[in-house]
Amino acid sequence: MHEHFEHTADLGLRATAADLDTLFAEAAECLFEAIVELSAVKPNQSVEVALTGSDREYLLFDWLRELLRLADQDRMLFSKFKVHVNDDGLIGTAWGEPLDAGKHELIREVKAITYHELKVEPHEGGWLAEVIVDI
Amino acid sequence: MAKGTFSGPLEKVDACCYRIPKSFRPDMRVDGLIFASEKMIETLRHDQACEQVANVATLPGIQMASLAMPDIHWGYGFCIGGVCATDPAEGGVISPGGVGYDINCGVRLIKTNLFLDDVTPHLRGLIKALFHTVPAGVGRTGKYKFDEAETKRILSEGPRFVIERELGTLADLDHTEANGRIDGADPDEVSKHAIQRGSQQCGTLGSGNHFLEVQVVDSIADADVAKAFGLEHNQICVMIHSGSRGLGYQVCDDALVQFRNVPQKYGITLPDRQLACAPADSPEGKKYIGAMRAAANFGFSNRQLLMHQTREVFADVFGRSWQDLGMHLLYDVAHNIAKLEEHTVEGKLKKVWVHRKGATRAFPAGHPELPEAFRHTGQPVIIPGDMGRASWVLVGGANSMLRSFGTTCHGAGRAMSRTAAVKDAAGRRIDKELEARGVIAMSSSRQGLAEEQPKAYKHVDDVVNVVHEAGLSRKVARMRPIGVIKG
Repeated sequence: MHEHFEHTADLGLRATAADLDTLFAEAAECLFEAIVELSAVKPNQSVEVALTGSDREYLLFDWLRELLRLADQDRMLFSKFKVHVNDDGLIGTAWGEPLDAGKHELIREVKAITYHELKVEPHEGGWLAEVIVDI
Repeated sequence: MAKGTFSGPLEKVDACCYRIPKSFRPDMRVDGLIFASEKMIETLRHDQACEQVANVATLPGIQMASLAMPDIHWGYGFCIGGVCATDPAEGGVISPGGVGYDINCGVRLIKTNLFLDDVTPHLRGLIKALFHTVPAGVGRTGKYKFDEAETKRILSEGPRFVIERELGTLADLDHTEANGRIDGADPDEVSKHAIQRGSQQCGTLGSGNHFLEVQVVDSIADADVAKAFGLEHNQICVMIHSGSRGLGYQVCDDALVQFRNVPQKYGITLPDRQLACAPADSPEGKKYIGAMRAAANFGFSNRQLLMHQTREVFADVFGRSWQDLGMHLLYDVAHNIAKLEEHTVEGKLKKVWVHRKGATRAFPAGHPELPEAFRHTGQPVIIPGDMGRASWVLVGGANSMLRSFGTTCHGAGRAMSRTAAVKDAAGRRIDKELEARGVIAMSSSRQGLAEEQPKAYKHVDDVVNVVHEAGLSRKVARMRPIGVIKG
């Protein structure tokens, strides 16, 4: 599950899930939902992401940051994610398609992932993640 | 708004300044000093910004006090409106959070020899032409595309590079802070990704609170300085508020990743990891400084190209060259930057890193760094307000060097979160409301106008009154918007 929450000049992403793999996928969806109407983004092409790191919060940060970088660099939007998180990093796949101004209405620009109140913690038997993004 | 209230001491120093004594927390090296009115201070208790002022007071090498301007609000690490100076000779640090993501976000004011009556019959056409010509909004790239080598030259040289391509005049540089070029920029420290983001965006407005406004001088507060600046009642001006676009954001983002383990390396304990910093003279510090200066030069160049496009539109609409329209640059100032400057601290002249995050340089009359044109008045300070009410031109005040490292406020400061502003705007036509107030607003997104509605901001008059009273900068002229384009 995921949702946006308000935060002064910017936007908060919040995700909850039973396990870390689902949590990271939910957080990614939450990110792209802030950018574009996700239902209009077809999961036609995929890209792989491999990251190392043992700090779960930095790992979430780096995952979202890398997705933003790929989206920006390759002019892509992503709508579907699958992630496997382990003790020293993650492997993830993101599916999406090239940005098409005619098809995709951009809601806002996410300019950066921030460290503010960055959270990945156990929550009600599962996991909770919160990230503030600069918009 | 941000969670949490500040329950620490806010001792009144005078009518426009409050102190958080360093005794408030054992890790504070200096006091916090917030320039604010009594009315503002009570609201401030409900914002994490005060705690952030105290956090900055823990930084190694910090001089005098951790300062905040009256447009203070919560930010990443440093609050917006946060100012501090660190002395590298005392292990003083450089902190990307003290500059901000949008490096050299800033503002410039362009004069014209047009008056309200000249422009009113053409206003809608003018705003439409500006809206269609000046790229604004999410993901918009510009008509000026630079390859990697050219972008690196912009990072080194600033607007001079584009002026040599007839996209401005050399006189524009005389009227830009630092002559549009911060020395010591190192384009090689700017990542490929940052360069890629910037190469297509130079000359674009961006989104969020960036804007291009056609304004009319509404009232003159200081007749002598207004005359020296070339401002008069009912005169039409154009204000441009924008920064270093994706490039600057990427430089900050890259630096924050690089700085993750750096404080520990130098034995620096931080109350907030977003204050990630390095000694300014360390290899890591120097790399960030080189990249930050490069991004700052990009910001000046971006505003130069935005001005050039504005001049072209005016020439087209009014049928005369921009020179014949008197469209000269009054001044361009940065309000997210860190600069190595000479300041007197406890009677000693020191070279310190002044971090201005949502704060503007405001050098007083006589300061040697000022261009000839402003040596006898003091530096023009451009303060953007919100799109419904007012903006200001101030002049550097006599007390700025003593009280605030030559610094003043930068704008109105948000009063309402973006989400709250959008909710509040539900069912309303902000563009129609603005039109009823005499402002033609065009935005590439309806959400943009909602997020930026006047209610979302504090009143800039209140902010400007505080810095005027504190002697940081004096009021010169007030402008109100008559047309605005936004992303």
